[in-house]
Amino acid sequence: MSYTIKDDIIQIDHLLFQYQQEETKETVTAVDDVSFSLKRGSFTAIIGRNGSGKSTLAKNLNALLLPSGGAVYVNGYDTKEKDHLWEIRQSAGMVFQNPDNQLVSSIVEDDVAFGPENLGIEPEEIRRRVDEALHKVNMYQHRKRAPHHLSGGQKQRIAIAGVMAMRPECIILDEPTAMLDPKGRAQVMEIVRQLHADGITVVLITHFMDEAAQADRIIIMDQGKAVLDGTPKEVFRHGEKIRDLYLDVPFAVEMARQLRKAGMNVPDDIIENEELTEYLCSSEAALSAEDDGESAASGETSASGTAPGADAKTVSDATPDAAVLAGDTVLEVKNLRHVFSPGSPFESVALSDVSFALSKNSFTALIGHTGSGKSTLIQHLNGLLKPTAGSVWIEGADIAGGEVKLRDIRRKVGLVFQYPEYQLFEETVLKDVCYGPLNLGMSQEEAEEKARRAIELVGLDFEEIKDRSPFALSGGQKRRVAIAGVIAMEPQVLILDEPTAGLDPKSHKDILSMVETIKNEGNVTILLVSHNMGDVARLADRVLVMDGGRLWMNGTPRQVFSRESELLEIGLGLPPAAEFLRQLAKNGAPVATQALTISEAVTAITQWKRGESQC
Amino acid sequence: MLRDITLGQYYPGESPIHKLDPRTKILGTLLYLISLFIVKSFAGFAVALLLLGMSIKISGVPLKFMLKGLKTIFMIALFTFVLNVFMTPGTVLWRWGFLRVTEEGLYNAVFMVVRLGLLIVGSSLLTLATKPLQLTDGMETLLRPLQRFGVPAHEIAMMMSIALRFIPTLMEETDKIMKAQMARGADFESGNLLQRAKSLIPLLVPLFISAFRIAVDLAMAMESRCYRGGENRTRLHPMSFHAGDGVAAVILGIYLLILVGLRFIM
Repeated sequence: MSYTIKDDIIQIDHLLFQYQQEETKETVTAVDDVSFSLKRGSFTAIIGRNGSGKSTLAKNLNALLLPSGGAVYVNGYDTKEKDHLWEIRQSAGMVFQNPDNQLVSSIVEDDVAFGPENLGIEPEEIRRRVDEALHKVNMYQHRKRAPHHLSGGQKQRIAIAGVMAMRPECIILDEPTAMLDPKGRAQVMEIVRQLHADGITVVLITHFMDEAAQADRIIIMDQGKAVLDGTPKEVFRHGEKIRDLYLDVPFAVEMARQLRKAGMNVPDDIIENEELTEYLCSSEAALSAEDDGESAASGETSASGTAPGADAKTVSDATPDAAVLAGDTVLEVKNLRHVFSPGSPFESVALSDVSFALSKNSFTALIGHTGSGKSTLIQHLNGLLKPTAGSVWIEGADIAGGEVKLRDIRRKVGLVFQYPEYQLFEETVLKDVCYGPLNLGMSQEEAEEKARRAIELVGLDFEEIKDRSPFALSGGQKRRVAIAGVIAMEPQVLILDEPTAGLDPKSHKDILSMVETIKNEGNVTILLVSHNMGDVARLADRVLVMDGGRLWMNGTPRQVFSRESELLEIGLGLPPAAEFLRQLAKNGAPVATQALTISEAVTAITQWKRGESQC
Repeated sequence: MLRDITLGQYYPGESPIHKLDPRTKILGTLLYLISLFIVKSFAGFAVALLLLGMSIKISGVPLKFMLKGLKTIFMIALFTFVLNVFMTPGTVLWRWGFLRVTEEGLYNAVFMVVRLGLLIVGSSLLTLATKPLQLTDGMETLLRPLQRFGVPAHEIAMMMSIALRFIPTLMEETDKIMKAQMARGADFESGNLLQRAKSLIPLLVPLFISAFRIAVDLAMAMESRCYRGGENRTRLHPMSFHAGDGVAAVILGIYLLILVGLRFIM
């Protein structure tokens, strides 16, 4: 059976995908009666929270999975027809989430050649395609290197080149930027836009709404169904519904919504910062006459149940700087220096002359681009690395001095690495969380008591979860259990290295509010490593900025983010609200630009508009 | 750092030896290694040494790298030497208590150590002057005739090249998990053997899970890039013999003739 409509490259006809869950033998419906088709040359974003079925849908598009019901057609070929399997996979190529696990060869150009080699293409033609594909992703100069020496963003671009070398008509990217830093993410998105401009059909699965907004069509999946489908403007107009699905909206949509609440006449089809800037700078934008702005901003938001976090900021920002400085110091770093492989040709200075102090119960953020020395620094704080020079003091004792037992240091300073769920190993959640306390020499009862407290503190139901296997949990739950494993040791300082990496918007928010709970209820000093400037501005009362192994700045979020151009130079950005206000100011709006959060930005904009109406 | 460790020990270069077809190099090395066992005199070793020295010189790989391989077998060489010196019966040169050194023993000892040295340095040249991927490609082609006897030549080569690709990744992973467990108070260093073995569980379980996750992801990525085994597969760098390979074959032929000749003369 074949079915052709010339304009469509992919047709999905009542797709049903079911599988049997191993543990419970229950039948799970991952994709439930989805139908749509994709036009040639279109750019479609598929969004939805974890478990909504979007990855399963994607794998059905190039016959990695086959429908349980309904059908998928690629270029008119039914994916169930074995005869056309290779044509289907060649014309709809796929890029996956993990940059490491999809590169086959230890040399970049051989990896890009892998697809064409499988297709049995002549060597000269393979050479041509490999070079062309590498040029397309700006990686030609790296063609002889080994993948493990490349950054995540570079690896992901190699993966894209590997697909492009097969000359597909369509490329499906399954969360290609989820594991990347902001720089890598920007590079990959740049390539994706370029591919679309070259006429390739793009399907992008993502958790980042600002990426989705660049598509010309968005499909939102929830519980296996396509619940919203339209242009970004059409889809993001349903802000409330999107929030009900535990997803985010792009920054401009949220900003516009908050402005409307404050009494401004902002249209509801604005989705990009540029549009909003343009609109606000035009004469159309005005505060409604009877409204004085201020009362609306505070009153209405709480009534309509804003997404958690959007307005929470003012709390931490209200902490006066002096109070932070006056607090007792719990951890102090003095003139820290670290050199890797000293004396060898690989010698590299990872840290030089870093000094700072963390005061008790403070919430400090550590920012810096990849390779700036952040992870080397945090590993010194609990004795995993020894300083080449300088010292680390915890409660008046130098941990590098050798007088303090490592066990005592680790009891005091907890370190949660990136993707901590990869370190789970026990049969049950309880046993896994007890591992740390038992290592510290606690008795079984004591360890279990600490574990119970920790599991409850990370927001899980102890009785319900304690006997389950950690491997059977969902991604977000696994991460909580792993964090509980560190908290159970009851550290006074808790360091978290990008605890939200790779999570969907809902889990992202949940993990951050969990961190706040730990800080407030557990009386723990927090050091959070983050790439998300919005989170940093909202949560931290102190920001440490690393660049090239040095502590570039140590200040309040307001002090740090006031130095926009210098931050850009060292590869960092501003919180979205601050960036937006600066954009406004650049377009000539006389608006105050020191705001860091959306609610502050609303105040700044309404003040500007009120001033305008008075003149 | 861990990520700098790679399997094999390729020394990048553009020498004629580097440019030889991997098949020539593999077979050549094999013949050379066998030839060391037909040598019965130091004159033969002199010829073998001459050929090896010439090849090393041409390859441009610094001698330092060549001799690195010797370091690892130093203990074995020493053991062989001592065993031969003291255990071979014959004309006694020197005696001390039950220990005695014989003329034949000394001769044998030196002979064995020279042979061992040439074996190691000879095979190091192969891995130093051939890219690991070319080596696996060469092996695949050379094993191909054995396919009809059930030897999965393509699969073996694919496995080797995937191993090459993922060893650094798994090393990094090990490093990460180890640090994470150490941050939870794990102690991998102290205690008796049993305790130490037990302390590895929190490292090994997550590592295995990682390896399986990589395997599942990679298999899916390979399938989506149309991988379907070795049949009808083409190569970006097809292997082909050039003039250099002919020259190498002639030199090797002459070398073998000399060795065989020497055996009859001496």
